[in-house]
Amino acid sequence: MAVNWLRKLASHKRAPVFPVLGKQGDKALRYLALSPEIELVDSPRHASVLLIAGEVPADRLEPLRRVHDQLPDPFTTLWFRNEPWPHLENVDRIDDLTDLPAALTKAHRELMTGQRDSGCRILSDRPPNPWKGEGDFGQGGEGMMGGVPYGRPMAMNMQEDISDGLTLDSLTFRLGPFFMAFPPGMAAEVTLQGDLVQSWETQLEPYPQRLDAVFFNARKHPVPIAEIELARARHHLQRLYHALHLAGLEALSLSSLRLAHGLSTSSTLDGLRRRLVRSGFFHLAAVGGGLLNTEQARQFGGPAARAAGLADDLRSHDAGYRRLGFSPVCQNGGGVSARWKQILDEVEQSLMLARQAERDEVYTNDVDCIETPRGPWDEQPPEDASAILDEILPGLEWGDALATIASLDIAAVADRGGGTQSPGESRAVQGGSGNVVK
Amino acid sequence: MLLSELFLPVLMVMFMLTVGAYVVAVLDRLIAGAFGAPQAGRVWLAPMARGAWLMTQHANATEAPDWQAWRLAPALYLALAAIGLAVVPWSESLVATDLVTSVVLWGSVEALATVVIFLHGWSANALLALIGGYRYVALGLSYILISMFVLIGVALPAESLQFTQVVASQEALWNVIRQPLGLPLFLIVGLGMTFWGPLNLADSKDLAGGTASEISGPPRLVWDVARAAMLVAFSGVAASAFLGGWMGPWLPGPLWMAIKMLAVLLVLLLLGRVLPRIAPERCVTLMWVVLLPLSFIDLVWAGIGALL
Amino acid sequence: MELLTLLIVLLLSLGAGLLVQWLPMRHQPIATYPQRAPFLGGGTPDSHAWSRYHVRYYPMTLLLIAFEMEMMFMYPWAVVFVEKGMMAVMEMGMFLAILSVGIVYAWREGVFKWQ
Repeated sequence: MAVNWLRKLASHKRAPVFPVLGKQGDKALRYLALSPEIELVDSPRHASVLLIAGEVPADRLEPLRRVHDQLPDPFTTLWFRNEPWPHLENVDRIDDLTDLPAALTKAHRELMTGQRDSGCRILSDRPPNPWKGEGDFGQGGEGMMGGVPYGRPMAMNMQEDISDGLTLDSLTFRLGPFFMAFPPGMAAEVTLQGDLVQSWETQLEPYPQRLDAVFFNARKHPVPIAEIELARARHHLQRLYHALHLAGLEALSLSSLRLAHGLSTSSTLDGLRRRLVRSGFFHLAAVGGGLLNTEQARQFGGPAARAAGLADDLRSHDAGYRRLGFSPVCQNGGGVSARWKQILDEVEQSLMLARQAERDEVYTNDVDCIETPRGPWDEQPPEDASAILDEILPGLEWGDALATIASLDIAAVADRGGGTQSPGESRAVQGGSGNVVK
Repeated sequence: MLLSELFLPVLMVMFMLTVGAYVVAVLDRLIAGAFGAPQAGRVWLAPMARGAWLMTQHANATEAPDWQAWRLAPALYLALAAIGLAVVPWSESLVATDLVTSVVLWGSVEALATVVIFLHGWSANALLALIGGYRYVALGLSYILISMFVLIGVALPAESLQFTQVVASQEALWNVIRQPLGLPLFLIVGLGMTFWGPLNLADSKDLAGGTASEISGPPRLVWDVARAAMLVAFSGVAASAFLGGWMGPWLPGPLWMAIKMLAVLLVLLLLGRVLPRIAPERCVTLMWVVLLPLSFIDLVWAGIGALL
Repeated sequence: MELLTLLIVLLLSLGAGLLVQWLPMRHQPIATYPQRAPFLGGGTPDSHAWSRYHVRYYPMTLLLIAFEMEMMFMYPWAVVFVEKGMMAVMEMGMFLAILSVGIVYAWREGVFKWQ
């Protein structure tokens, strides 16, 4: 009786959801971030529903199985635009984004009230290495070290520290592809000594990102500058959301997301920028590291390059933009904080260009080379840049390293259009107003 | 005799422990809502629903945790919060334990909190929790000195290490005015002790929950309650040390105390929502190079003030 | 009596904390090995996390010891402060001045940096 009462009360909790992002899953993530009845959590231990959002490529299925099995009982799964594994019973597939929050809530509620059984484990219940019965106490090791106590070796790989040369244990592990602070799909093999990164090797590149359809249209025919600039600003604001979320500025990250969703030519960045500066983000948070040198910045292109002082922007060659008096804005830092200042400046500039262009009805001119929010696209779309992380992350403190990743738009741009959304859905994603360009 | 000196104080502390944690949860939700977090359902029900959910969720295990330490850490943190609450005076006579050395006792609670939080991160034998634990020690060792200097500052005019005496010494003027640097510095200590908001180095987002990243179910419930209760205990100490405790016109003492504690809680929760998480290295430098010298100045100021 | 109350508060809250954890867990089966693997976003570790951890703020902890010893003297000092008057101010002032020089030196040496 008491248990029933407890479960009934528990079913009123906002559904705690751990999102596993497949391709284009980040759209669902941003939609859920603004849904009041959903609580997105950072660790599967804190969730009762595992959301698999989008198609998960085959090379990430093994990690997905691992994460699936890491949710404590009782738990269930929900599949968004992805076919549930056949042996999972009583799990739903949802395809419409607007149905997602309700479906997640329902899953959590049914789980709590006992209408739905907890999910089954997929991986077999075996330790990573056999150890039982070995060693003096059956703990799997000999004496103080050696062997595989409790199924895993002890950290014994004494390496010299790259900063002070002390010889202590380093910890090597593979992180991702479903780690919240990484771009969707990225995985890396990391060696830490203390909380300093000793080596970083990106193993799985993040999924290519699909930009707004307007960037693909702009490669076919001239498009209104107002429209393309709003899409650019929206892209940057969505990235800002992820970074501010990581920095612990929950309220500001949601403001940024709301601004992105309701973006129109009458939007202004002033309020958000003021609050961000006043919060001390540029002084307190982990924005110290992540310096790109000129060569890396050039390789990267786009806002990251302009933040390092390279005034390269394909828009300055476009006759349409020249009519609007466009000239690229730059910073001269090249680090995390310079990149975020650059992003804020570029969003502001985009909004201004959009306003002017809407008034004068200016269209883009060049179609064979356009500047995407990720970087220049002349012959090839911007390519994946996750290899740069291997160079710049070693030596950084853990928080600085993750803030650096968040500040870089490393994913490649898919050369297929982002126009796969139905109009109704794009309205849902963009908070009702969408691209307000007449 | 036994009833009034043993039973009632214990009951009072236990009551504060649960009600306090609940109030913190509700207030934090309300503040988050005011800052634009999406809200659903009834705010007053949400913490209870969360508690019920954590009671039904199974407790997670890691491969080879230090079981005793892992289960003991949340309970110990809760016990520290309870001890903190026990020394908070609600009026001249209404104090759970009116020790002569209650300021020293609170100081030891602050120091032991560092140990317990580290233990929580370490005992899971998981990487992200371990980093959270070690990171917290850097913070814990930095705030402890600031806290001590500031608390000694309030003990000077009282000529006593007893919180009731400290409150009584503020009859003429509250310490928040007499020692203007004291309360702001002490609030930073409060955020540090509960790793709240900008000083959440232990259970941070970049560690997927840090020391709490591997726990679920009842242990997580105890950990969360302990953290909220510690915030309440801290606000009680801050209200006694700086805001004149039970003193105030018209209303009865305990009510004044409750109002002042709520005010401190509100400020702490607000700070937690508007500031970003500070980078560990900056945190340590800031604490030692800026805030610690400021706490020296506070102490000298308090000393001269006490003599005049 | 006060200490007895305090002890009871300590034991009760500690007991409550342990009981809340223990009671629901009595009937739960131990988690499977895949569930018990540490969460790394789908990744795996090479080894146990316990290790000779490289504490980056180690010099700072040494500096702390210098201050912590002093705290023991400050408690009794605080109680007799008003009685002793100006002398107590001078004493502690000198002490703090010397320690401040220590902090400045440590800062210059980069003790508060992650090294």
